[in-house]
Amino acid sequence: MNRAHRAALALASLAAVATVAVACGPKEIVPPEVGPKLTVTSTTTQDSAPKEELRMVPAEAYMRTYLTLFGGLAPLEVQKRARGADGAQLFDTWDDYFASLGFPDYRIDMPRSQQTNALMVATFERLGVALCDRAVEHDLKAKPPVNERVVFAFEIPPSGATLDKAAFETRFDVLHRTFLAYPAKLAPTDRTARFFKLYEDVHKRHAAAPGKPRLSADEVAWANVCYGLVRHPEFHLY
Amino acid sequence: MSLSRSPSIHENPTTMRTLRLFLFVFALPIALAFVPASRADAAAPAPSLDDYRHFRAVAIDLLGRMPTRDEVAAFEKPGFSLDAWIEGHLEGGTYTDRLSRVYMDVLRLAPSPSTQFAPDATTLYRHQILGHDKKPVWVYFRARQRRTREETDGEFCLTKEETGVEIAARMQPKNPAEMKPVSKAVLEQHTVLVKPWWLYRDYLSTQPTRRYKMGWDDPDPTYQPVESLLNDPDGKPTMEIRVCREEAQTMTTGHVYVTGRTPPPKGAPMPNGRTRPLPLDSAYAKQHKDEVISCQSKLAVESSTECGCGVALEHCLPNESDQAGGAAFYFPNHIPLGLDQPIDSARQQAQRWYPFWWSQEAEHFLAYLFGADRDFREVLTARYSVINGPLAQFYRAIQPGNCCGGEANFGMVQETEPLFLPANVPTELFPHDVRAWKVVPDRGPHAAGLLTTPMFLEKYASARARGATLYTAFLCKSFSSENAELMPSTEPNLMVRPGCSNCHATLEPLAAYFSRIEPGNLVFLPQQLFPVKNEKCKKGPNGKLPGFCDAFYDVSFADAAGATLRSAYGSPAHADATPAGAGHDIVQMPEFAECAVQRVAGSFLGRTLTTDDGPLVGDLVAGFKKDGYRMRPLVRAILKSNAYRHANNLDSSVWRGGAK
Repeated sequence: MNRAHRAALALASLAAVATVAVACGPKEIVPPEVGPKLTVTSTTTQDSAPKEELRMVPAEAYMRTYLTLFGGLAPLEVQKRARGADGAQLFDTWDDYFASLGFPDYRIDMPRSQQTNALMVATFERLGVALCDRAVEHDLKAKPPVNERVVFAFEIPPSGATLDKAAFETRFDVLHRTFLAYPAKLAPTDRTARFFKLYEDVHKRHAAAPGKPRLSADEVAWANVCYGLVRHPEFHLY
Repeated sequence: MSLSRSPSIHENPTTMRTLRLFLFVFALPIALAFVPASRADAAAPAPSLDDYRHFRAVAIDLLGRMPTRDEVAAFEKPGFSLDAWIEGHLEGGTYTDRLSRVYMDVLRLAPSPSTQFAPDATTLYRHQILGHDKKPVWVYFRARQRRTREETDGEFCLTKEETGVEIAARMQPKNPAEMKPVSKAVLEQHTVLVKPWWLYRDYLSTQPTRRYKMGWDDPDPTYQPVESLLNDPDGKPTMEIRVCREEAQTMTTGHVYVTGRTPPPKGAPMPNGRTRPLPLDSAYAKQHKDEVISCQSKLAVESSTECGCGVALEHCLPNESDQAGGAAFYFPNHIPLGLDQPIDSARQQAQRWYPFWWSQEAEHFLAYLFGADRDFREVLTARYSVINGPLAQFYRAIQPGNCCGGEANFGMVQETEPLFLPANVPTELFPHDVRAWKVVPDRGPHAAGLLTTPMFLEKYASARARGATLYTAFLCKSFSSENAELMPSTEPNLMVRPGCSNCHATLEPLAAYFSRIEPGNLVFLPQQLFPVKNEKCKKGPNGKLPGFCDAFYDVSFADAAGATLRSAYGSPAHADATPAGAGHDIVQMPEFAECAVQRVAGSFLGRTLTTDDGPLVGDLVAGFKKDGYRMRPLVRAILKSNAYRHANNLDSSVWRGGAK
């Protein structure tokens, strides 16, 4: 063993002894240290409201509201009118919607639905579209006196014209009160602006569409605003 | 000289704290006392979003729908008082519907699709034969009807020789192509023409003239017989129907018919061309030959040749078919908004006619209880009920025909203590009066709120099911077993059998309350004829009871001295207390009021109440009891509570993650 080898061996032995000595040595103590202060980047109010789930509007109340919005007719009469000449394209039958609306069926011990599901949301959609389309036909196309209109209780400009934001707001407020029962200006979000954009977009797109559609651009735009409200979560919850 | 300035109160934290405390404890309540409940003055602040939502919620719960634009406008006006608005809407159809729904959701009182009610004594089938002019004719008859003519005793009133085909209830005729015309003489000898109750409004008169929509021009629109009951086979309006002569009899009593027949020798041919054996005399008939019996009983159709369906067949329900599934009336499958607003109308089987109305009786009972703001304890104790025309007919003429068969062996040949005394049925209600609902103040001594309604007894067909429903629906308790190992056991007493006892020790005494009402039936077994321990039903050396006892007495709880009434072993005292005793006992339990409050408050808040709601429930229960167990003050308190007002205070954008 030459000198270099001996030195390497001694070094290795020293390293092994040191490793064992450190591993079995006393625990290292990290002294506490004061860190930098957290800087305030934004402030918000603590929400201390009780976090209960929102109640779903009972199926009976939904249906009664629907009948009221259809002019206070009986269910079978509403079914007849909603189907109109379109048959099942717009509205099937109440029997078809009975279970998906969440009604309990005591005959088969099916309980009341306490929360939504995909089929229920699809049913809300279908019923909402039928309501809005028939309301457009009744209120905007047939043009009865405004006080006889249940949904679109306002005048719209002659065909082809569009509304400015201020004119839209007053009309939208009528619909907002009809469906959500409070003024649009109290909505917790910029709802009026968003619905105005929807109105404008639909109006523009429909005006540019070829052919002679059943509804005018303004009627379709209002129908779409109506769809948005009749399917809004706030409409189905309370 | 320097002047030291005293610190202002704004700068003194202690003073500020004291001031805030003073304001909170004294000044704030004083100020609030002067805040009007209504926005009476013009300076009152406009409603906040929370106010609007609270109003919308209250409207949904009391009006049964969202508020209209006009109602929202009225809410916004100065002077609007929500308290007064609530007060004005704690009544009416939608309010009672809202409350009824709480209990209907729990009890689900509607007949299942398989529910049928078609006792032989009260069901008219019909067959088509060929008249002497070769035109088809419907002939109505009852199954098992006794007749003096041996050829047709217990069968259809015309023979195979006379019609060309063999006809029997609930059986398709064989070889219908061989049908031949029945001679006029034979037809008139064995059948008669009748103007039945379902066709004539004035069916009780000697010469009825007001036929459905032909003289009787304003029938209740909900009363809709199927077309085939209104028209003859040739399509012409039916003015009269042909009925077997015995079925058309109108006497109220008959005599026990005894033939003295003996069983035929094995393999002997059937007499008189019959394809089925002749009916033999029952043990009861042999013992009571020629005795007078009521024609309104199950026994009458099988034991007397003199009993029929009464005047204009009013004790029987028609069926358009020779099968059990034949239709009789149109009525809806679904009526989520009540009978006045059906969402469909379906051709329904005759045997579902009365079950449909049983369900409606339960709904109307609850609507009356809540609408009149009666003591809620009456849900289990009331002797009143609310019935319409079909139910009046059911209690007056149909249910009596549902008894008695095996009961006759214990001396009960007709119901002696029915749950609803036929004499208490209003006479002014006709079977066609489907929308005329009347309160019957007293059904009889055994009536006990919902517990003795046909719908409850049919829905919960066994004594245990009935007892368990009492426990869960009205005490808000449930049966959940401990983690016990179920070992094979011959112990019939479930109150002591390991693994069973922890539930059945409670359940069996509850079930015992219902042991005097036949399972799956509405017949009440009176104490006098059916004692809890019956000496007539002694256990024999073979370990069995006399055959007639098995349906009513339990061999598992029998000895040489007698047997115990079925379901009564858990508590003989409860058995004799009957459901009326159950109602009385349950409403006195402290859990009853708390359960009612939990159910109603939970429904209005849209969630199950938890221990966190303890203070609210405590206040509501105390108020509920103080107000005499009335729902109106309870609902008022719930609607005005903070818990209700803030039940919907979670912003939609929060839960929806940004919906606009």
